Amino acid sequence: MEKQPHLLLWKAVFVLIMIGLGFGIYAGSKSIDYTWRWERIPQYIINTEATTVRSPFDGSATIEKGNKLVVTSDYGDDPLVIEKFDNLLVSNGDLVFEGDPLVEVENWNIGPLTWGLVMTLQLSVVSLVFAVVIGLFAGLARISTNPALRYLSVTYIELIRGTPLLVQIFIFYFFIGTVLDLDRFTAGVAALSVFTGAYIAEIVRSGIQSISPGQMEAARSLGMNYVQAMVNVILPQAFKRTLPPMAGQFINLIKDSSLVSVISITDLTKAGREVVSSTFAPFEVWFAVALMYLVLTGALSWAIQRLEKRLSASD
Amino acid sequence: MTNMTDKSIIQARNIEKIYSNGCHALKNVSLDINRGEVVVIIGPSGSGKSTFLRTLNQLESISDGSIHIDEVSLTDRKTNINKVREEVGMVFQSFNLFPHKTALGNVVLSPMKVKKKARTVAEQEGRELLKKVGLAERMNNYPSHLSGGQQQRVAIARALAMHPKIMLFDEPTSALDPEMVGEVLDVMKSLASDGMTMVVVTHEMGFAREVADRVVFMEDGELVFEESPERFFSSDNPRLQRFLGQVL
Ligand SMILES: Nc1ncnc2c1ncn2[C@@H]1O[C@H](COP(=O)(O)OP(=O)(O)OP(=O)(O)O)[C@@H](O)[C@H]1O
Ligand SMILES: [Mg+2]
Repeated sequence: MEKQPHLLLWKAVFVLIMIGLGFGIYAGSKSIDYTWRWERIPQYIINTEATTVRSPFDGSATIEKGNKLVVTSDYGDDPLVIEKFDNLLVSNGDLVFEGDPLVEVENWNIGPLTWGLVMTLQLSVVSLVFAVVIGLFAGLARISTNPALRYLSVTYIELIRGTPLLVQIFIFYFFIGTVLDLDRFTAGVAALSVFTGAYIAEIVRSGIQSISPGQMEAARSLGMNYVQAMVNVILPQAFKRTLPPMAGQFINLIKDSSLVSVISITDLTKAGREVVSSTFAPFEVWFAVALMYLVLTGALSWAIQRLEKRLSASD
Repeated sequence: MTNMTDKSIIQARNIEKIYSNGCHALKNVSLDINRGEVVVIIGPSGSGKSTFLRTLNQLESISDGSIHIDEVSLTDRKTNINKVREEVGMVFQSFNLFPHKTALGNVVLSPMKVKKKARTVAEQEGRELLKKVGLAERMNNYPSHLSGGQQQRVAIARALAMHPKIMLFDEPTSALDPEMVGEVLDVMKSLASDGMTMVVVTHEMGFAREVADRVVFMEDGELVFEESPERFFSSDNPRLQRFLGQVL
Protein backbone atom coordinates (compact mmCIF):
# COMPACT_ATOMS: atom_id res chain seq x y z
CA MET A 1 0.00 0.00 0.00
CA GLU A 2 1.20 3.48 -0.81
CA LYS A 3 1.87 5.71 2.11
CA GLN A 4 -0.80 8.34 2.58
CA PRO A 5 0.68 11.86 2.64
CA HIS A 6 -0.50 14.40 5.21
CA LEU A 7 -1.16 11.69 7.79
CA LEU A 8 -1.58 14.16 10.61
CA LEU A 9 -3.99 16.28 8.60
CA TRP A 10 -6.30 13.36 7.92
CA LYS A 11 -6.25 12.28 11.54
CA ALA A 12 -7.30 15.80 12.44
CA VAL A 13 -10.11 15.58 9.87
CA PHE A 14 -11.31 12.39 11.53
CA VAL A 15 -11.34 13.99 14.96
CA LEU A 16 -13.19 17.02 13.59
CA ILE A 17 -15.85 14.85 11.99
CA MET A 18 -16.35 12.93 15.24
CA ILE A 19 -16.68 16.19 17.18
CA GLY A 20 -19.12 17.41 14.52
CA LEU A 21 -21.19 14.26 14.97
CA GLY A 22 -21.29 14.70 18.72
CA PHE A 23 -22.30 18.29 18.30
CA GLY A 24 -24.99 17.23 15.83
CA ILE A 25 -26.52 14.94 18.43
CA TYR A 26 -26.41 17.69 20.97
CA ALA A 27 -27.95 20.24 18.62
CA GLY A 28 -30.58 17.73 17.55
CA SER A 29 -31.69 17.14 21.09
CA LYS A 30 -31.66 20.89 21.75
CA SER A 31 -33.92 21.51 18.79
CA ILE A 32 -36.60 19.22 20.23
CA ASP A 33 -36.12 20.63 23.75
CA TYR A 34 -34.83 17.40 25.15
CA THR A 35 -33.45 17.53 28.66
CA TRP A 36 -30.78 14.98 29.24
CA ARG A 37 -31.13 13.15 32.50
CA TRP A 38 -28.12 10.89 32.54
CA GLU A 39 -28.27 10.76 36.34
CA ARG A 40 -31.34 8.54 36.05
CA ILE A 41 -29.48 5.79 34.23
CA PRO A 42 -26.92 4.39 36.72
CA GLN A 43 -29.56 3.18 39.16
CA TYR A 44 -30.86 0.85 36.44
CA ILE A 45 -27.44 -0.65 36.06
CA ILE A 46 -26.50 -0.90 39.73
CA ASN A 47 -28.31 0.75 42.57
CA THR A 48 -27.53 1.00 46.24
CA GLU A 49 -30.49 0.94 48.51
CA ALA A 50 -30.26 1.44 52.25
CA THR A 51 -32.17 -0.95 54.45
CA THR A 52 -32.60 -0.30 58.13
CA VAL A 53 -31.94 -2.95 60.74
CA ARG A 54 -34.24 -2.60 63.73
CA SER A 55 -33.87 -3.93 67.23
CA PRO A 56 -35.83 -7.12 67.85
CA PHE A 57 -36.13 -6.52 71.61
CA ASP A 58 -35.71 -3.95 74.36
CA GLY A 59 -32.14 -3.63 75.62
CA SER A 60 -28.99 -1.55 75.46
CA ALA A 61 -26.48 -0.95 72.70
CA THR A 62 -22.72 -1.15 73.10
CA ILE A 63 -20.18 -0.41 70.43
CA GLU A 64 -17.16 -2.60 70.77
CA LYS A 65 -13.75 -2.13 69.23
CA GLY A 66 -13.54 -2.64 65.50
CA ASN A 67 -16.96 -1.09 64.95
CA LYS A 68 -19.07 -3.91 66.24
CA LEU A 69 -22.54 -3.18 67.54
CA VAL A 70 -23.83 -5.44 70.29
CA VAL A 71 -27.36 -5.12 71.61
CA THR A 72 -27.96 -6.96 74.87
CA SER A 73 -31.51 -7.85 75.75
CA ASP A 74 -33.26 -6.91 78.96
CA TYR A 75 -35.07 -10.21 79.00
CA GLY A 76 -32.25 -12.66 78.53
CA ASP A 77 -32.52 -13.16 74.74
CA ASP A 78 -29.29 -13.93 72.87
CA PRO A 79 -27.45 -10.66 72.22
CA LEU A 80 -27.67 -9.23 68.69
CA VAL A 81 -24.29 -8.67 67.06
CA ILE A 82 -23.97 -6.58 63.88
CA GLU A 83 -20.49 -6.42 62.39
CA LYS A 84 -21.09 -4.81 59.02
CA PHE A 85 -23.10 -1.66 58.45
CA ASP A 86 -22.82 1.63 56.62
CA ASN A 87 -24.54 4.08 58.99
CA LEU A 88 -24.75 3.78 62.74
CA LEU A 89 -28.00 5.20 64.17
CA VAL A 90 -27.36 4.64 67.90
CA SER A 91 -24.50 5.62 70.17
CA ASN A 92 -22.64 3.68 72.81
CA GLY A 93 -24.73 2.99 75.91
CA ASP A 94 -28.07 3.95 74.34
CA LEU A 95 -31.16 2.22 75.55
CA VAL A 96 -33.12 0.79 72.69
CA PHE A 97 -36.66 -0.46 72.46
CA GLU A 98 -38.05 -3.12 70.23
CA GLY A 99 -38.38 -1.73 66.71
CA ASP A 100 -35.88 1.08 67.11
CA PRO A 101 -33.61 1.61 64.09
CA LEU A 102 -30.05 0.51 64.85
CA VAL A 103 -27.98 0.70 61.65
CA GLU A 104 -28.39 1.18 57.92
CA VAL A 105 -26.95 -1.34 55.54
CA GLU A 106 -26.47 -0.41 51.90
CA ASN A 107 -27.43 -3.19 49.55
CA TRP A 108 -25.95 -3.39 46.15
CA ASN A 109 -28.74 -4.25 43.79
CA ILE A 110 -28.15 -5.22 40.24
CA GLY A 111 -30.41 -3.08 38.12
CA PRO A 112 -32.70 -4.26 35.32
CA LEU A 113 -30.28 -3.26 32.56
CA THR A 114 -27.55 -5.39 34.06
CA TRP A 115 -29.97 -8.28 34.42
CA GLY A 116 -30.82 -7.76 30.76
CA LEU A 117 -27.12 -7.82 29.90
CA VAL A 118 -26.69 -11.06 31.84
CA MET A 119 -29.67 -12.58 30.01
CA THR A 120 -28.28 -11.48 26.65
CA LEU A 121 -24.92 -12.97 27.59
CA GLN A 122 -26.52 -16.25 28.66
CA LEU A 123 -28.62 -16.44 25.51
CA SER A 124 -25.62 -15.70 23.34
CA VAL A 125 -23.20 -18.09 25.01
CA VAL A 126 -25.61 -21.03 25.13
CA SER A 127 -26.78 -20.39 21.55
CA LEU A 128 -23.21 -20.02 20.40
CA VAL A 129 -22.22 -23.43 21.74
CA PHE A 130 -25.18 -25.12 20.08
CA ALA A 131 -24.75 -23.11 16.88
CA VAL A 132 -21.12 -24.19 16.57
CA VAL A 133 -22.04 -27.84 17.09
CA ILE A 134 -24.94 -27.65 14.62
CA GLY A 135 -22.84 -25.67 12.15
CA LEU A 136 -19.94 -28.08 12.34
CA PHE A 137 -22.09 -31.11 11.63
CA ALA A 138 -24.17 -29.38 8.97
CA GLY A 139 -20.98 -28.10 7.33
CA LEU A 140 -19.45 -31.58 7.31
CA ALA A 141 -22.71 -33.08 6.03
CA ARG A 142 -22.75 -30.43 3.30
CA ILE A 143 -19.50 -31.79 1.82
CA SER A 144 -20.25 -35.44 2.56
CA THR A 145 -20.33 -37.92 -0.29
CA ASN A 146 -23.55 -39.33 1.15
CA PRO A 147 -26.43 -37.69 -0.77
CA ALA A 148 -28.93 -38.01 2.10
CA LEU A 149 -26.65 -36.06 4.42
CA ARG A 150 -25.81 -33.54 1.73
CA TYR A 151 -29.41 -32.82 0.75
CA LEU A 152 -30.50 -32.59 4.38
CA SER A 153 -27.79 -30.07 5.03
CA VAL A 154 -28.57 -28.03 1.91
CA THR A 155 -32.27 -27.97 2.77
CA TYR A 156 -31.56 -26.84 6.30
CA ILE A 157 -29.17 -24.10 5.22
CA GLU A 158 -31.46 -22.80 2.48
CA LEU A 159 -34.58 -22.86 4.65
CA ILE A 160 -32.92 -20.97 7.45
CA ARG A 161 -31.07 -18.46 5.32
CA GLY A 162 -34.16 -17.81 3.22
CA THR A 163 -36.45 -16.76 6.06
CA PRO A 164 -36.22 -13.89 8.54
CA LEU A 165 -34.97 -14.64 12.03
CA LEU A 166 -37.95 -12.87 13.56
CA VAL A 167 -40.32 -15.25 11.79
CA GLN A 168 -38.19 -18.22 12.88
CA ILE A 169 -38.37 -17.05 16.48
CA PHE A 170 -42.16 -16.89 16.27
CA ILE A 171 -42.29 -20.36 14.71
CA PHE A 172 -39.98 -21.78 17.37
CA TYR A 173 -41.93 -20.19 20.18
CA PHE A 174 -45.51 -20.57 19.06
CA PHE A 175 -45.33 -23.78 17.05
CA ILE A 176 -42.35 -25.91 18.05
CA GLY A 177 -42.38 -24.45 21.55
CA THR A 178 -46.01 -25.42 22.01
CA VAL A 179 -45.63 -28.87 20.51
CA LEU A 180 -42.54 -29.73 22.56
CA ASP A 181 -43.56 -27.66 25.56
CA LEU A 182 -40.47 -25.45 25.55
CA ASP A 183 -40.05 -22.48 27.85
CA ARG A 184 -39.23 -19.06 26.41
CA PHE A 185 -35.52 -19.28 27.03
CA THR A 186 -35.20 -22.71 25.40
CA ALA A 187 -37.28 -21.62 22.43
CA GLY A 188 -35.16 -18.49 22.09
CA VAL A 189 -31.90 -20.41 22.30
CA ALA A 190 -33.18 -22.99 19.83
CA ALA A 191 -34.17 -20.34 17.31
CA LEU A 192 -30.89 -18.46 17.66
CA SER A 193 -28.69 -21.54 17.45
CA VAL A 194 -30.53 -23.06 14.52
CA PHE A 195 -30.36 -19.73 12.72
CA THR A 196 -26.69 -19.08 13.43
CA GLY A 197 -25.83 -22.74 12.81
CA ALA A 198 -26.85 -22.39 9.17
CA TYR A 199 -24.40 -19.55 8.63
CA ILE A 200 -21.67 -21.33 10.56
CA ALA A 201 -22.26 -24.41 8.40
CA GLU A 202 -21.42 -22.39 5.31
CA ILE A 203 -18.34 -20.93 6.99
CA VAL A 204 -17.22 -24.43 8.03
CA ARG A 205 -17.84 -25.78 4.53
CA SER A 206 -15.86 -23.07 2.80
CA GLY A 207 -13.15 -23.31 5.46
CA ILE A 208 -12.71 -27.04 4.90
CA GLN A 209 -12.84 -26.69 1.14
CA SER A 210 -10.15 -24.03 1.28
CA ILE A 211 -7.70 -26.58 2.69
CA SER A 212 -5.77 -28.22 -0.12
CA PRO A 213 -6.91 -31.81 -0.83
CA GLY A 214 -3.25 -32.83 -0.46
CA GLN A 215 -3.64 -32.37 3.30
CA MET A 216 -6.37 -35.00 3.49
CA GLU A 217 -4.37 -37.30 1.20
CA ALA A 218 -1.23 -36.93 3.30
CA ALA A 219 -3.18 -37.66 6.48
CA ARG A 220 -4.93 -40.67 4.98
CA SER A 221 -1.69 -41.99 3.49
CA LEU A 222 -0.28 -42.01 7.03
CA GLY A 223 -3.00 -44.42 8.10
CA MET A 224 -5.41 -41.95 9.69
CA ASN A 225 -9.07 -42.64 9.13
CA TYR A 226 -11.44 -39.93 7.91
CA VAL A 227 -12.38 -38.73 11.38
CA GLN A 228 -8.78 -38.68 12.64
CA ALA A 229 -7.68 -36.75 9.57
CA MET A 230 -10.53 -34.27 9.97
CA VAL A 231 -9.93 -33.74 13.67
CA ASN A 232 -6.14 -33.59 13.62
CA VAL A 233 -5.32 -32.11 10.25
CA ILE A 234 -8.19 -30.45 8.41
CA LEU A 235 -10.30 -28.85 11.12
CA PRO A 236 -7.44 -27.15 13.01
CA GLN A 237 -6.34 -25.48 9.79
CA ALA A 238 -9.90 -24.65 8.75
CA PHE A 239 -10.57 -23.30 12.24
CA LYS A 240 -7.73 -20.84 11.95
CA ARG A 241 -8.84 -19.73 8.52
CA THR A 242 -12.47 -19.31 9.51
CA LEU A 243 -11.81 -17.30 12.66
CA PRO A 244 -12.48 -13.89 11.07
CA PRO A 245 -15.84 -14.83 9.50
CA MET A 246 -16.72 -16.80 12.65
CA ALA A 247 -16.04 -13.72 14.75
CA GLY A 248 -18.42 -11.77 12.55
CA GLN A 249 -21.05 -14.46 12.97
CA PHE A 250 -20.62 -14.56 16.75
CA ILE A 251 -21.03 -10.81 16.90
CA ASN A 252 -24.14 -11.08 14.75
CA LEU A 253 -25.45 -13.66 17.19
CA ILE A 254 -25.09 -11.26 20.11
CA LYS A 255 -26.90 -8.57 18.17
CA ASP A 256 -29.56 -10.93 16.79
CA SER A 257 -30.32 -12.09 20.31
CA SER A 258 -32.09 -8.76 20.77
CA LEU A 259 -34.90 -10.11 18.61
CA VAL A 260 -35.93 -12.69 21.20
CA SER A 261 -37.34 -9.85 23.25
CA VAL A 262 -40.45 -10.31 21.09
CA ILE A 263 -41.21 -13.53 22.94
CA SER A 264 -40.93 -11.73 26.26
CA ILE A 265 -37.45 -12.79 27.23
CA THR A 266 -36.07 -9.95 29.31
CA ASP A 267 -32.80 -9.49 27.52
CA LEU A 268 -30.91 -6.25 27.30
CA THR A 269 -33.23 -4.82 24.65
CA LYS A 270 -36.43 -5.71 26.48
CA ALA A 271 -34.94 -4.38 29.71
CA GLY A 272 -34.17 -1.18 27.84
CA ARG A 273 -37.79 -0.88 26.76
CA GLU A 274 -38.99 -1.39 30.30
CA VAL A 275 -36.58 1.13 31.73
CA VAL A 276 -37.62 3.69 29.12
CA SER A 277 -41.22 3.39 30.22
CA SER A 278 -40.32 4.07 33.84
CA THR A 279 -37.69 6.79 33.33
CA PHE A 280 -39.06 8.68 30.34
CA ALA A 281 -35.44 9.09 29.30
CA PRO A 282 -35.44 7.12 26.04
CA PHE A 283 -32.34 8.70 24.51
CA GLU A 284 -30.14 8.03 27.50
CA VAL A 285 -31.45 4.51 27.93
CA TRP A 286 -30.95 3.50 24.31
CA PHE A 287 -27.49 5.03 24.24
CA ALA A 288 -26.66 3.12 27.40
CA VAL A 289 -28.07 -0.09 25.94
CA ALA A 290 -26.07 0.41 22.74
CA LEU A 291 -22.95 0.94 24.81
CA MET A 292 -23.58 -2.26 26.75
CA TYR A 293 -23.96 -4.23 23.51
CA LEU A 294 -20.73 -2.64 22.31
CA VAL A 295 -18.96 -3.81 25.44
CA LEU A 296 -20.04 -7.40 24.72
CA THR A 297 -19.20 -7.37 21.03
CA GLY A 298 -15.98 -5.44 21.61
CA ALA A 299 -14.80 -7.92 24.22
CA LEU A 300 -15.56 -10.77 21.84
CA SER A 301 -13.65 -9.24 18.93
CA TRP A 302 -10.76 -8.52 21.19
CA ALA A 303 -10.69 -12.12 22.45
CA ILE A 304 -10.80 -13.50 18.92
CA GLN A 305 -8.04 -11.20 17.76
CA ARG A 306 -5.90 -12.45 20.62
CA LEU A 307 -6.63 -16.03 19.56
CA GLU A 308 -5.75 -15.22 15.94
CA LYS A 309 -2.42 -13.78 17.05
CA ARG A 310 -1.65 -16.88 19.05
CA LEU A 311 -2.52 -19.18 16.16
CA SER A 312 -0.40 -17.23 13.71
CA ALA A 313 2.76 -18.76 15.19
CA SER A 314 2.90 -21.24 12.31
CA ASP A 315 2.62 -18.61 9.53
CA MET B 1 7.15 -60.31 -17.06
CA THR B 2 9.96 -60.60 -14.55
CA ASN B 3 9.72 -61.69 -10.96
CA MET B 4 6.15 -62.98 -10.89
CA THR B 5 7.03 -64.95 -7.81
CA ASP B 6 5.29 -65.12 -4.46
CA LYS B 7 8.03 -63.22 -2.68
CA SER B 8 6.68 -60.03 -4.28
CA ILE B 9 5.58 -57.51 -1.68
CA ILE B 10 3.50 -55.64 -4.25
CA GLN B 11 1.47 -57.55 -6.81
CA ALA B 12 -0.50 -55.37 -9.18
CA ARG B 13 -2.36 -57.37 -11.83
CA ASN B 14 -4.28 -56.14 -14.86
CA ILE B 15 -5.17 -52.80 -13.37
CA GLU B 16 -7.68 -50.62 -15.15
CA LYS B 17 -8.45 -47.13 -13.97
CA ILE B 18 -11.19 -45.06 -15.51
CA TYR B 19 -11.83 -41.73 -13.79
CA SER B 20 -15.39 -40.60 -13.28
CA ASN B 21 -14.92 -38.13 -16.15
CA GLY B 22 -14.24 -41.05 -18.47
CA CYS B 23 -10.46 -40.59 -18.64
CA HIS B 24 -8.89 -44.04 -19.10
CA ALA B 25 -5.76 -43.48 -17.01
CA LEU B 26 -4.48 -47.06 -16.57
CA LYS B 27 -4.81 -49.80 -19.17
CA ASN B 28 -4.08 -53.36 -18.10
CA VAL B 29 -1.10 -52.46 -15.93
CA SER B 30 0.63 -55.33 -14.13
CA LEU B 31 3.72 -54.96 -12.00
CA ASP B 32 5.23 -57.08 -9.24
CA ILE B 33 7.77 -55.62 -6.89
CA ASN B 34 10.00 -57.58 -4.57
CA ARG B 35 10.89 -56.85 -1.01
CA GLY B 36 13.79 -54.41 -0.87
CA GLU B 37 13.54 -53.56 -4.54
CA VAL B 38 13.76 -49.99 -5.85
CA VAL B 39 11.56 -49.44 -8.88
CA VAL B 40 11.66 -46.16 -10.77
CA ILE B 41 8.73 -45.22 -13.00
CA ILE B 42 9.28 -42.74 -15.79
CA GLY B 43 7.10 -41.55 -18.62
CA PRO B 44 5.61 -38.45 -20.19
CA SER B 45 3.16 -36.19 -18.43
CA GLY B 46 -0.33 -37.65 -18.24
CA SER B 47 0.88 -41.21 -18.82
CA GLY B 48 -0.67 -42.42 -15.55
CA LYS B 49 2.41 -42.62 -13.31
CA SER B 50 0.81 -40.79 -10.40
CA THR B 51 -2.44 -42.62 -10.88
CA PHE B 52 -0.66 -45.97 -10.70
CA LEU B 53 1.31 -44.99 -7.61
CA ARG B 54 -1.83 -43.73 -5.90
CA THR B 55 -3.69 -46.98 -6.53
CA LEU B 56 -1.00 -48.76 -4.50
CA ASN B 57 -2.22 -47.12 -1.29
CA GLN B 58 -5.78 -46.70 -2.54
CA LEU B 59 -5.75 -42.93 -2.72
CA GLU B 60 -7.33 -43.92 -6.03
CA SER B 61 -9.61 -46.92 -6.30
CA ILE B 62 -9.16 -49.17 -9.30
CA SER B 63 -11.84 -49.97 -11.85
CA ASP B 64 -10.65 -53.51 -12.52
CA GLY B 65 -7.78 -55.86 -11.71
CA SER B 66 -6.25 -56.68 -8.35
CA ILE B 67 -3.57 -55.35 -6.04
CA HIS B 68 -1.98 -57.26 -3.19
CA ILE B 69 0.29 -55.54 -0.71
CA ASP B 70 2.16 -58.04 1.43
CA GLU B 71 -0.45 -60.62 0.48
CA VAL B 72 -3.36 -58.42 1.55
CA SER B 73 -5.85 -57.74 -1.22
CA LEU B 74 -6.75 -54.08 -1.58
CA THR B 75 -9.89 -54.87 -3.55
CA ASP B 76 -11.26 -57.11 -0.80
CA ARG B 77 -14.03 -55.20 0.95
CA LYS B 78 -13.01 -56.73 4.29
CA THR B 79 -9.52 -55.23 4.10
CA ASN B 80 -8.96 -52.33 6.48
CA ILE B 81 -7.33 -49.84 4.15
CA ASN B 82 -6.02 -47.74 7.05
CA LYS B 83 -3.95 -50.70 8.24
CA VAL B 84 -2.51 -51.15 4.76
CA ARG B 85 -1.67 -47.46 4.56
CA GLU B 86 0.31 -47.71 7.78
CA GLU B 87 2.60 -50.08 5.88
CA VAL B 88 2.84 -47.93 2.75
CA GLY B 89 4.40 -44.51 3.19
CA MET B 90 3.90 -41.85 0.55
CA VAL B 91 5.88 -38.75 -0.33
CA PHE B 92 4.19 -36.14 -2.49
CA GLN B 93 5.51 -33.71 -5.07
CA SER B 94 4.07 -30.79 -3.08
CA PHE B 95 5.26 -32.11 0.32
CA ASN B 96 1.82 -31.72 1.93
CA LEU B 97 3.29 -31.08 5.35
CA PHE B 98 0.76 -30.08 7.98
CA PRO B 99 1.35 -26.34 8.22
CA HIS B 100 -0.09 -26.02 11.73
CA LYS B 101 2.49 -28.44 13.14
CA THR B 102 6.23 -28.10 13.61
CA ALA B 103 8.58 -30.46 11.83
CA LEU B 104 8.58 -32.73 14.87
CA GLY B 105 4.80 -32.29 15.25
CA ASN B 106 4.36 -33.49 11.68
CA VAL B 107 6.46 -36.55 12.33
CA VAL B 108 4.83 -37.61 15.61
CA LEU B 109 1.19 -36.94 14.71
CA SER B 110 0.33 -40.21 13.06
CA PRO B 111 2.32 -42.47 15.42
CA MET B 112 0.46 -40.84 18.31
CA LYS B 113 -3.02 -40.76 16.82
CA VAL B 114 -2.98 -43.97 14.81
CA LYS B 115 -0.50 -46.16 16.64
CA LYS B 116 -1.42 -44.59 20.00
CA LYS B 117 2.20 -44.14 20.97
CA ALA B 118 2.96 -42.03 24.00
CA ARG B 119 4.18 -38.55 23.12
CA THR B 120 7.57 -39.07 24.73
CA VAL B 121 8.17 -42.29 22.79
CA ALA B 122 6.95 -40.79 19.52
CA GLU B 123 9.08 -37.68 19.99
CA GLN B 124 12.14 -39.73 20.82
CA GLU B 125 11.70 -41.68 17.57
CA GLY B 126 10.77 -38.52 15.69
CA ARG B 127 13.97 -36.79 16.75
CA GLU B 128 16.00 -39.79 15.61
CA LEU B 129 14.30 -39.74 12.21
CA LEU B 130 14.75 -36.01 11.75
CA LYS B 131 18.40 -36.41 12.67
CA LYS B 132 18.65 -39.14 10.07
CA VAL B 133 17.34 -36.84 7.33
CA GLY B 134 19.70 -34.10 8.52
CA LEU B 135 17.21 -31.85 10.26
CA ALA B 136 18.31 -32.14 13.88
CA GLU B 137 18.52 -28.35 14.06
CA ARG B 138 15.13 -27.67 12.55
CA MET B 139 12.77 -29.85 14.58
CA ASN B 140 10.77 -27.03 16.06
CA ASN B 141 10.41 -25.04 12.86
CA TYR B 142 7.03 -24.74 11.22
CA PRO B 143 6.95 -25.80 7.56
CA SER B 144 6.62 -22.17 6.49
CA HIS B 145 10.05 -21.60 7.98
CA LEU B 146 11.72 -24.45 6.10
CA SER B 147 13.11 -24.56 2.58
CA GLY B 148 11.54 -26.87 0.01
CA GLY B 149 14.29 -29.44 0.38
CA GLN B 150 13.97 -29.37 4.15
CA GLN B 151 10.21 -29.73 3.93
CA GLN B 152 10.50 -32.73 1.66
CA ARG B 153 12.95 -34.36 4.06
CA VAL B 154 10.51 -33.78 6.92
CA ALA B 155 7.84 -35.39 4.74
CA ILE B 156 10.07 -38.43 4.27
CA ALA B 157 10.74 -38.62 8.02
CA ARG B 158 6.99 -38.30 8.66
CA ALA B 159 6.27 -41.27 6.40
CA LEU B 160 9.09 -43.31 7.95
CA ALA B 161 7.73 -42.69 11.43
CA MET B 162 4.97 -45.21 10.73
CA HIS B 163 7.64 -47.86 10.03
CA PRO B 164 6.30 -48.63 6.56
CA LYS B 165 7.42 -51.64 4.56
CA ILE B 166 7.05 -49.75 1.31
CA MET B 167 7.71 -46.13 0.37
CA LEU B 168 6.02 -44.47 -2.60
CA PHE B 169 7.52 -41.29 -4.02
CA ASP B 170 5.58 -39.18 -6.53
CA GLU B 171 8.06 -36.81 -8.18
CA PRO B 172 9.59 -35.88 -4.81
CA THR B 173 12.07 -33.42 -6.31
CA SER B 174 10.00 -31.83 -9.07
CA ALA B 175 8.86 -28.89 -6.93
CA LEU B 176 12.35 -28.16 -5.67
CA ASP B 177 14.89 -25.57 -6.72
CA PRO B 178 17.77 -27.38 -8.44
CA GLU B 179 20.21 -26.81 -5.59
CA MET B 180 17.91 -28.69 -3.19
CA VAL B 181 17.32 -31.75 -5.33
CA GLY B 182 20.54 -33.40 -4.18
CA GLU B 183 19.78 -33.34 -0.45
CA VAL B 184 16.46 -35.12 -1.00
CA LEU B 185 17.91 -37.67 -3.41
CA ASP B 186 20.68 -38.39 -0.88
CA VAL B 187 18.10 -39.25 1.76
CA MET B 188 16.31 -41.50 -0.71
CA LYS B 189 19.56 -43.20 -1.65
CA SER B 190 20.40 -43.96 1.95
CA LEU B 191 16.89 -45.30 2.43
CA ALA B 192 17.40 -47.57 -0.58
CA SER B 193 20.68 -48.85 0.76
CA ASP B 194 18.92 -49.61 4.09
CA GLY B 195 16.84 -52.07 2.08
CA MET B 196 13.56 -50.19 1.86
CA THR B 197 11.15 -51.25 -0.86
CA MET B 198 10.63 -48.12 -2.94
CA VAL B 199 8.50 -47.12 -5.91
CA VAL B 200 9.67 -43.80 -7.26
CA VAL B 201 8.12 -41.67 -9.98
CA THR B 202 10.80 -39.24 -11.05
CA HIS B 203 12.43 -37.41 -13.92
CA GLU B 204 15.84 -37.77 -12.28
CA MET B 205 17.48 -40.17 -14.74
CA GLY B 206 20.69 -40.09 -12.72
CA PHE B 207 18.85 -41.44 -9.69
CA ALA B 208 17.22 -44.14 -11.83
CA ARG B 209 20.55 -45.18 -13.27
CA GLU B 210 22.33 -45.20 -9.94
CA VAL B 211 19.77 -46.51 -7.45
CA ALA B 212 17.04 -48.38 -9.30
CA ASP B 213 16.90 -52.14 -9.51
CA ARG B 214 14.34 -51.80 -12.24
CA VAL B 215 13.09 -48.95 -14.40
CA VAL B 216 9.54 -48.91 -15.74
CA PHE B 217 8.36 -46.81 -18.66
CA MET B 218 4.73 -45.79 -18.91
CA GLU B 219 2.92 -44.07 -21.74
CA ASP B 220 -0.78 -43.41 -22.37
CA GLY B 221 -1.81 -45.41 -19.33
CA GLU B 222 0.15 -48.45 -20.42
CA LEU B 223 3.18 -50.03 -18.87
CA VAL B 224 5.29 -50.13 -22.02
CA PHE B 225 8.57 -51.46 -20.85
CA GLU B 226 10.50 -52.54 -17.77
CA GLU B 227 14.17 -53.42 -17.45
CA SER B 228 17.24 -53.16 -15.27
CA PRO B 229 18.75 -49.65 -15.55
CA GLU B 230 21.68 -50.71 -17.75
CA ARG B 231 19.49 -52.43 -20.30
CA PHE B 232 16.74 -49.83 -19.92
CA PHE B 233 18.88 -46.88 -20.90
CA SER B 234 20.55 -48.75 -23.73
CA SER B 235 17.27 -50.13 -25.08
CA ASP B 236 16.21 -49.33 -28.63
CA ASN B 237 12.46 -49.47 -27.89
CA PRO B 238 11.16 -46.73 -30.20
CA ARG B 239 8.59 -45.28 -27.77
CA LEU B 240 11.20 -45.14 -25.03
CA GLN B 241 13.75 -43.65 -27.42
CA ARG B 242 11.32 -40.92 -28.39
CA PHE B 243 10.69 -40.08 -24.70
CA LEU B 244 14.33 -40.18 -23.66
CA GLY B 245 15.15 -38.01 -26.66
CA GLN B 246 12.80 -35.40 -25.27
CA VAL B 247 13.99 -35.36 -21.65
CA LEU B 248 17.72 -35.93 -21.94
N1 LIG C 1 -8.73 -36.86 -10.47
C1 LIG C 1 -8.75 -37.05 -11.80
N2 LIG C 1 -9.91 -37.01 -12.47
C2 LIG C 1 -9.93 -37.21 -13.81
N3 LIG C 1 -8.85 -37.44 -14.55
C3 LIG C 1 -7.66 -37.48 -13.95
C4 LIG C 1 -7.54 -37.29 -12.54
N4 LIG C 1 -6.24 -37.40 -12.21
C5 LIG C 1 -5.58 -37.62 -13.34
N5 LIG C 1 -6.42 -37.70 -14.40
C6 LIG C 1 -6.05 -37.96 -15.78
O1 LIG C 1 -5.46 -39.24 -15.82
C7 LIG C 1 -4.35 -39.24 -16.71
C8 LIG C 1 -3.11 -39.69 -15.97
O2 LIG C 1 -2.77 -38.71 -15.00
P1 LIG C 1 -1.55 -38.85 -14.01
O3 LIG C 1 -1.64 -37.72 -13.07
O4 LIG C 1 -1.55 -40.21 -13.44
O5 LIG C 1 -0.32 -38.68 -14.99
P2 LIG C 1 1.22 -38.53 -14.61
O6 LIG C 1 1.92 -39.54 -15.43
O7 LIG C 1 1.42 -38.57 -13.15
O8 LIG C 1 1.56 -37.10 -15.17
P3 LIG C 1 2.56 -35.99 -14.58
O9 LIG C 1 3.93 -36.36 -15.02
O10 LIG C 1 2.09 -34.73 -15.23
O11 LIG C 1 2.38 -35.97 -13.11
C9 LIG C 1 -4.24 -37.84 -17.27
O12 LIG C 1 -4.83 -37.82 -18.53
C10 LIG C 1 -5.02 -37.01 -16.31
O13 LIG C 1 -5.63 -35.94 -16.98
MG1 LIG D 1 2.04 -37.15 -11.66
